[in-house]
Amino acid sequence: MSKNTRIILICSGKGGVGKTTLTANLGIALARQGFRTAVLDADFGLRNLDLLLGLENRIVYTAQEVLEESCRLDQALVKHKQEPNLALLPAGNPRMLEWLKPEDMQRIVSMLIDDFDYVLIDCPAGVEDGFRNAVAASKEAIVVTNPEISAVRDADRVIGLLNTHSVEPIQLVLNRVRPKMIASQEMLSVNDVTDILALPLLGLVLEDEQVIVSTNRGEPLTLSSSKSPAARCYTNIAKRMQGEEIPIIDPSKEGSSIGDKFKRLMQTKIF
Amino acid sequence: MSIENNERQLIKFPLRKEEDWRTSFKSKLAKFKEGFIEVDCKDWPLSWKDLVKLKSLLERSGFILDGIYSQIPETLVSAYSLGLPTNPLLSKEAEGNYQTQQNLNQSEERVLFHEGTLRSGEHIEARGDVLLLGDVNPGAQVSAGGNVMIWGRLLGIAHAGKTGNLNAKIIALELRPLQLRIANEVARGPEGKPEPGLAEEAILYSGSIVIRPAQTIFVNKKTHTIPPTP
Ligand SMILES: Nc1ncnc2c1ncn2[C@@H]1O[C@H](COP(=O)(O)OP(=O)(O)OP(=O)(O)O)[C@@H](O)[C@H]1O
Ligand SMILES: [Mg+2]
Repeated sequence: MSKNTRIILICSGKGGVGKTTLTANLGIALARQGFRTAVLDADFGLRNLDLLLGLENRIVYTAQEVLEESCRLDQALVKHKQEPNLALLPAGNPRMLEWLKPEDMQRIVSMLIDDFDYVLIDCPAGVEDGFRNAVAASKEAIVVTNPEISAVRDADRVIGLLNTHSVEPIQLVLNRVRPKMIASQEMLSVNDVTDILALPLLGLVLEDEQVIVSTNRGEPLTLSSSKSPAARCYTNIAKRMQGEEIPIIDPSKEGSSIGDKFKRLMQTKIF
Repeated sequence: MSIENNERQLIKFPLRKEEDWRTSFKSKLAKFKEGFIEVDCKDWPLSWKDLVKLKSLLERSGFILDGIYSQIPETLVSAYSLGLPTNPLLSKEAEGNYQTQQNLNQSEERVLFHEGTLRSGEHIEARGDVLLLGDVNPGAQVSAGGNVMIWGRLLGIAHAGKTGNLNAKIIALELRPLQLRIANEVARGPEGKPEPGLAEEAILYSGSIVIRPAQTIFVNKKTHTIPPTP
């Protein structure tokens, strides 16, 4: 491969931790920064990257037709309306799972590298064939996890597997962080997680209702200039991917409203 | 003592079969510049006491002991327990003396050496002793016919003496496992974190698994216990 296209797998092991949401938001954020970005839905069984990006009704061809050579790549790529730098390569029929091989994924990605700066691959949950196919085509990885023991355990397993495939670098995104629960020690702290996983932390994403609202609208948060907490987190992650040094928020300082701060001061008997 | 010399220097012991390391140590030392020095102890099993002596011998000659290399897990653990800056990297030469996974079946005496953290779902097994340089994460497991020595944190499961050796033990720089097994005994890991910097070991004591500060087999247990590092 000649070009310096960054081919990044977004994976987690455990399902439902926020891979697709991260892929959609980073895709938009990178496109807004001017990078030609392709997002590739590798979750053939339960595809929904198209939904999150609001592109479902514009899909004509998919990766399947591209592989079967019944259409050209550019016919299958769906350009985003507001962010033309972003294109989605939709997942084909779930039956693709029966015949898809690591080489097929590699072929698709090698077709993309000439025209894009970033290729983000939305990985299916689990560590079986779907994961293995997606890994084979990736150079780097972002492992998404939640501050929960089971999610961290699965992330650890996935990191072990990525290491055996010499995917590098592997960075960590900790999603659905709830500062209050961490403060009351009801949730694993950021340190608890990085201590076990021993990966560089690319960023935290706060738990935020706006994520759900935006998902249902098919408009990722990074698309608007939303000031919602999660939107800021996603944008910062996209900037850090370029090597910008943006300090990672301290969850213990987030979400503490004036009321909380006042309460704490009361407890420390300053008043 | 003024230290102007910041270069890395490494003094090497001879192999045990060649000569006693003490014989020509001083004359070798004379070739180095005063200041920081690392020592490659080769295949010498050194106790806590030996290392204290080595350290003061170096200090009297104007050196500061800045690291220990060793092919012998016990020496590494003694050094760590003593709070000495230790270097778990084994030299290429040393690796040759260790057993690799492939020739595992040929001898049971030697140490299986594994470098790198074991992550969830990973499992290593050895017929003899195992020395692991890295952590054993939750969900990972190490088992050995002999001792399990972990140059890192044990957070997962370790099984020593899996073929019934009641004297097998489990040593780790940080011992906070999910579960420990020695021979046929099983114990849940202790609650809470151990004191930092204190290597610990688990042994079988009158039929149950107990945890205590690491006492390498070369340390005379009656005369001293290993002091926690500051
Ligand atoms: N930071 C967040 N705050 C609130 N909700 C979130 C956040 N991140 C993700 N979610 C919600 O969690 C759910 C799962 O997210 P998503 O589909 O991105 O996960 P996934 O890892 O892709 O799941 P799957 O393994 O099924 O593909 C969605 O309903 C999403 O809206
Ligand atoms: Mg998904």
